This record gives sequence, C-alpha cells and structure tokens, in this order.
Amino acid sequence: MRTKGILLLIILLAGNLSMAQGPDINGYARTYEGVRYNNGDFAIIQQTLNLNIEKRGDKTAFKANPMVYVYNADSLNIGLREIYMDMYFDNFDLRIGKQQVVWGKADGVFITDIVSPLNLSEFLLPDFDEIRTGVIATKLNYYIGNSSLEAIWIPQFTPTIRPNENSIWYMQPAFPAPPTFNWSKSSIKPSLENSELFLKYSAMTSFIDFEIMGGYTWDDNPSMHIKKIVDMSTGSPVLTGLEITPQHHRLTVGGASFSVGIKGIVVRGEGAYYNGKYFQTADPLAQDALVQKNYLNYVAGIDFNIANVKFSTQFIQKYILDHEDLMDENQTHNTATFMARYDLMRETLHLELFSYIGLDDEDALIRPKITYDFDDSFSILLGGNIFIGDRAGQFGQYQDNSMIYTKIKINF
Amino acid sequence: MKTIKLLVSAALIIAGFNANAQLTGEQIIEKTYNLPTGEDQSSTLKMTLTNKQGKQRLRVIKQFTKDFGEVEKKIMFFQSPADIKNTSFMNWSYNSDKNDDQWIYLPALKKIKRISSDSRSDYFMGSDFTYDDLGDRKLNADIHKLLRTETINGKDYYVVESISKDEDYMYSKTITWISKDTFIGIKKEFYDEDGDLLKILSINKTEEVSGFLIITNSEMKNIQKDHTTTISLSDIKINSGISPSKFTERMMTRGM
Repeated sequence: MRTKGILLLIILLAGNLSMAQGPDINGYARTYEGVRYNNGDFAIIQQTLNLNIEKRGDKTAFKANPMVYVYNADSLNIGLREIYMDMYFDNFDLRIGKQQVVWGKADGVFITDIVSPLNLSEFLLPDFDEIRTGVIATKLNYYIGNSSLEAIWIPQFTPTIRPNENSIWYMQPAFPAPPTFNWSKSSIKPSLENSELFLKYSAMTSFIDFEIMGGYTWDDNPSMHIKKIVDMSTGSPVLTGLEITPQHHRLTVGGASFSVGIKGIVVRGEGAYYNGKYFQTADPLAQDALVQKNYLNYVAGIDFNIANVKFSTQFIQKYILDHEDLMDENQTHNTATFMARYDLMRETLHLELFSYIGLDDEDALIRPKITYDFDDSFSILLGGNIFIGDRAGQFGQYQDNSMIYTKIKINF
Repeated sequence: MKTIKLLVSAALIIAGFNANAQLTGEQIIEKTYNLPTGEDQSSTLKMTLTNKQGKQRLRVIKQFTKDFGEVEKKIMFFQSPADIKNTSFMNWSYNSDKNDDQWIYLPALKKIKRISSDSRSDYFMGSDFTYDDLGDRKLNADIHKLLRTETINGKDYYVVESISKDEDYMYSKTITWISKDTFIGIKKEFYDEDGDLLKILSINKTEEVSGFLIITNSEMKNIQKDHTTTISLSDIKINSGISPSKFTERMMTRGM
C-alpha cells in the first residue's frame, strides 16, 4: 500500500507540476519479458514507468527522473534516478543533486567512466541509462571556448549494486570452507574525509576530442578480507571456516580518452591507471588473502560505415602491474566488443547485433535485437541475450541464463 | 556558406544578377552556391513525412547556423518525437576538402559522440532528404553541364545537369531548374543509379526575412516509393548575432 501511495504521489505531483508551473514532462512506459530458453523459466517480468520532469530557464533548470519498476506480479521498486538543479553563469555551470555522470569515449565498458557506479543486479543487460546509478554530487563546469574543466565532489560514497542471492545473476563464489560474512566494514560513513573528488579537462576540436581525468575515489567493488578459522583442538590445524569482511578501499585514478575522425572513420581510445587496488591472492603470507597492486585498463576502437551499416569494434585490456603468480586474476584480461546496426524502412526497422567477447576464456555475450517502430511513440523489440563459452568466463558462467526477450515501449 | 541554395535551410538573397546566356553549367551552379546568405540564421524546422497510405510522422527541430569563414557550424536540437527529444546534433563543414566533423548528444547516454561523417547518402531521420540533399554536398563533388534554358510561367530558367565524380554515388545525375534572374533553384530532379527518376524537390513558398529571400516550404517526393517529405521553416532569424558559444559541447548537452 505504501509503495502504491508513493506511485500515486509521483503521478499526482507530475500532473500538478504540469498544470501549475508548466514543466516539460516526457518519458516512457515499457513492458519487458524474457524467457530462458533452456528451461522456459521467465528470466524477467518487468513493467517500467520512467518520467523526465524538467523545468528550464535562462539561468536555472530543474530535473527529476522518477522511475517505477514492477517485477513479476507484485514486487515494486520506486526510485529517483536523478533529481538536481542547474545554475548557469557566464562561464560556468553548477549542478547540485543526484545525477548520473558519464565520462570517456568507450562504449559499454567503464574505464574512466567511474563517477557513477553501476547497477549490476541484472549483469550488463540493462540499457546504459539504467545500468548507472545516480550519485549525490556537486558538479562545476568551467568553460573556455570549446573546452571545459569539470570538478565533481561526492560527499557520500555509493557502491556498485550487486545481484542479491535469489537472483539468477548471483554466482556463489567457491570457498574451501563455510564462509561467515562480517558486514561491519562494508559501508563508508559520509564525512568530508570520506568524500570523493573527480576532475576532468575536455576539449572538442576540429581535429580531435579528448578528455584528461583524475579521481580520488573509493573502489566501487569491496575487497574481500578473508580470515581463516582454524580448529586446533585435535592438535593439528583444521580449517573449519572463513570470516569474510567486505571492505571498500581508496583508489586513485588517472586517465584520458580521445576520439578522432579520419576520412569517415572514427578512432577512439581510452585508458586509465588505477593506483592501490586490492586483489585476491592465494599467497599464504598475504594478509587477509589480499595484495595491493596497481593496474592499467584501456580500450581502442573504431567506428565506420559500410553500405549504410554502422559498425563499431573495440579491444579492451586490463593489465596488472607487478603481478604475482598466486593472484587469482591473470596479469592480463582481454575483451573485445563488436556492434553492427542497420536502420531500414525509413528508420522504422532497426537491426542490431552487439557482442562482448572474452578473448581469454573464449566466451561471449551475443545480443541480437530487432526493433520496429509502429509510429513515433510505439515500438516493439525482440531480442536475445546469448551466453556461450567457458563456464569459468565472465560471460560463459551465465550460459543457463541465455534468453529471448521482448520489450514493448510507449514514449510520451 | 557552401550549401547549394536550392535546399531548404539556406538563406537566399535576391542580389539582382542579370541573366547571362554565356554562363557554363559550372558557373551557374557556382553562382547559386555562392549567393550571400547572411552570417547566421536560426529557425524551427518542421518535417512531415507522408507515406503512400497517407500516414504522417512529424519531426520538429530547432536549428542554428553560423558562418565562421573557413568553417560553417550548425547545431540542431530535436524537439519531437518524444523518443529523441533533447537529442542534439552538431556539424562543422569546411571550405576545404576536409571531411565534416559531426557529433551527436544522446540524452539517454548522457555523452557526446563524434560520429562518422562518411554517410552522406543516409536519409535524414527517415525522410526523403539525404544529408547531401540537405546542403552538405560540396560544389566540386559534381560535374555540371548546362542542358538548356526554359521559360516557365513567363520566367526564364537555366536547366543544369549535375553528375557526381564518384561513380558509386547514389544518384546517377540531378537536374536543377535555376532562375536566370536570381540564381535560385526552384526545382530539382534526382535520378537513381539506373538512370530512372527517383525524387523531385519542389519549392512551395518563399518569404522575405531581413532582406533575404527564404524558402519556407519545400517538398521532396519520392516517385518510386510514393513517399513525400515536406519541410517548413518558422521563427526565422537572420544575422541576429548568434554567439559562437552556441556551437559547443556546453550547448549540446544543455540544450537551447
């Protein structure tokens, strides 16, 4: 009842705003159903209402993006993806509130794009505007011609959202002994000392677009501090359990990205240096089964057209510096993406194929989809999320979740 | 400005040219191409797509253009339909042979993407206009030949054939009717790769704004598909002193 009341309040509020103050309201309603084709179970039954409420003036603006998700028959999830106000000055803009921030030139991978954490409760399947969570932040943009200096202060850390234990996207880690989780250090207390800071300089020129960024942040993914519980009662040590303490640690990140057009082809690159990441290790001498290392993450890609078909491909590599053999992760991890898109019937029928390809584990997520726009506001999408390859791989582990799905959407 | 002045977004001035029978096709097109059009222009563009069943789709765009000498910058803010609202598109077109620079801002992705400009033959938003048709085609991309002169409703016109230097271009030729008095194009025929008539562009209405003659209503009809796109311009302002800062990342993300 409470959630239904909130939903009603949002709708009434939107209506009142519309009549009294004349904000611009648009959005969409969508029904999304997916079926796992190995067993016929529904992978998702989701109804969505997404509203964009905006009021723009010459010097100020306001935006709220409430969204309502109904899962299965009765599970209701209401939230505000964004709610912020803008203030425009001669040479700078200020945005205060909950907001999504997107950086970098890569598509579908997150290298310098680390300001807004991810919602991975449905793995990488949601649309890109739905996979990022909003952060409560103050953002200042100072403009010099076609370049911009952007500074972001985030007073309260928001971690990556992981699938819960009942989700088909939750993968139980394998432990050599029964684990006990200690969640006492899993959150970061909001304070000035614990805030996050990001800085970016970007420019758009006739030759090249580029960004240079830095961040003093928290690792969005907690490190698992593992302590062994050993029973000595028999005289010889017996491992009886593990105490696992998830804990976020500070990360310092510096990176850059670029995009350049060369005779009709767009070449893109993005890379970042991550300082102070904790990695899992089997080294018995390591404290809490963790070792601190620095690593590089980078991507190179091109976009081009052939016969009205748009292609895009990227190569992504993660490279751990000063790697040790006993670390769980390999020194390098290589992934590729491929996208082809063809619009036909006067841009009413859209064919698209997007794939993540794990080059080390020979696994992949293949995402074909076909969308037909019945008119300017109503569309039907049929698609597939096909996981193939080694079950030890990032994508192959979800082989049993391969699905076909449909999304029917009305924009207004 | 490099746009061929037959096209819908161009600002056209009656400059008092005298008819000159000695002109070649190349010179006629060049005069059309080089007509003064003002330093900047803004307008609201409404594009109505009508299929053979009579079903219509509407696109509304607010657009700004400014001539910076060596480069012409254009920014478009999409207002309708709802699924592309607040999308913006920016194009920098150069006098030299350099390819255009193009960017698109998609509000759902919240980032500006540089996009490939190697898609001149793509149709713009499902309409009957390609990007080339809308004015980004370079003058020297075609060989122009004066076919004849014609008198229509008491007015004299040059009839000029233009054939692309690129053998793979989507049109085998175009034929343009250009006023002898004003060097304004009033009609253009597009022929497909087999030499068959594909589309006809007609100018339905012109209006004078700030001393410039503006095409405010034009129609492109695809003869083979029986599909029509009508473009109308409103809220037209010329030489209003659009700030260079309008054509920046800041405005693409912020909107109008």
